[in-house]
Amino acid sequence: MNVHASLLGAYHPQQGWLFRLGTGWKYLLLLALSLPPILVGRWWFTVAVALLALGMLWSSGIGPRKALRVGWMLWSILATMAVYQLITLQPELAVTTPGNVLIAVLASRMLTLTTSTPELLDALVRGLAGLRRLGVNVDQIALAIAVMVRSIPYLMGAFDDSRDAARARGRDGNIVSLLIPTMVSAVAYAQSTAEALHARGLAERESR
Amino acid sequence: MISLRDVRVAVPALRPGDPDKVLLDDVNLELAERRIVVIGANGSGKSTLLRLLNGLRLPSRGTVTVDGHDTAKDGKQVRKLVGFIFTDPLSQLLMSTPIEDVELSLRASVRGKAERLARAQALLDARGVGHVAHQSIYDLSGGERQLVSLTSVLAVEPTVVVADEPTTLLDLRNKQALREIFTHLDQQLVFSTHDLEFALLAERAIVVDGGRVVADDEPGNAVAYYRDLMR
Repeated sequence: MNVHASLLGAYHPQQGWLFRLGTGWKYLLLLALSLPPILVGRWWFTVAVALLALGMLWSSGIGPRKALRVGWMLWSILATMAVYQLITLQPELAVTTPGNVLIAVLASRMLTLTTSTPELLDALVRGLAGLRRLGVNVDQIALAIAVMVRSIPYLMGAFDDSRDAARARGRDGNIVSLLIPTMVSAVAYAQSTAEALHARGLAERESR
Repeated sequence: MISLRDVRVAVPALRPGDPDKVLLDDVNLELAERRIVVIGANGSGKSTLLRLLNGLRLPSRGTVTVDGHDTAKDGKQVRKLVGFIFTDPLSQLLMSTPIEDVELSLRASVRGKAERLARAQALLDARGVGHVAHQSIYDLSGGERQLVSLTSVLAVEPTVVVADEPTTLLDLRNKQALREIFTHLDQQLVFSTHDLEFALLAERAIVVDGGRVVADDEPGNAVAYYRDLMR
């Protein structure tokens, strides 16, 4: 199984200021970086915020190389967005559209690279605590998100495996030959995850 | 003590009108020994048999009980008593890093988060995988992943550990290390394997073929029977 560096990155404890910042503040920072470029919609503002996000990560010990290691799939999507806007003669959108997506990913990585999953989930559970009064099982939501985060690299790896298998048969240009095995792999993975939750007694505990 | 009485497991046929597919039939076992191995060819029913023991699969007929708890009626209690180790640890690890995964196991028993994390780190250290506690589970070797899985399962202090071909994906060194750990586990261990040397370390061996228990003996005799069966 090929396994990618996750789109959202894996947490490794360090001493930088972002690592010490409270998780709630980091959620706010995520919004503060992601929303303004969408509202302003100017290319220079998008570039400035992207550089600011990179600078903030760098000042916490996460260099541009690590910050921008978001996987070839995302880069392909961003490039496709930019090319499409250029073809349709909208050069400003060729910067702002993929740029704003990249900023959102960088802001998310600012959260996930500097915060352990339990801390993220604890903050989420605290934030959603009010929903308990409406009968919502907040712990179950938090566990579901944690499992989802852990599954992203696996699914990206499954896509790479399908691509390798298709290449080995000389069919790498056929998108169907990539998507079907990836889907089958994703369903099998979901089943094994459900089985693991049951085996560890978490399905019962979380559904209480 | 684990008891299986008149157990049958069947799944509906794919085509309407066809008879159900029987995965296991006529299984009557009392599992009391500390080390029990289940051997059999691929598709013989080994995994189905093991999955019955902690209620991952329920019998279509008959009963499975663990210390008197019926897996069909009291699954929650059974899963507290019986930990399950999968062939592929990636299927088992639910969180992104080893320490988070072990911490998840401890949530039911340890209240404070700081205490849980300290305890998780100590348990990983004790298994020799403390140095990878904060790494992504995808960056670990197969042996490290299986040790983390084992740590997560043992963190809830089950009385029985069931392991479905736990050494199949491991290299020789990790296989030997895991065998050594399994030999010294405090818990009752029921495992399946294709590694017949590993099987010989058990006290009792059950041979499954075509969904039926065809031999139940001390490992030397059972392995000899299995070798004959596979000729």
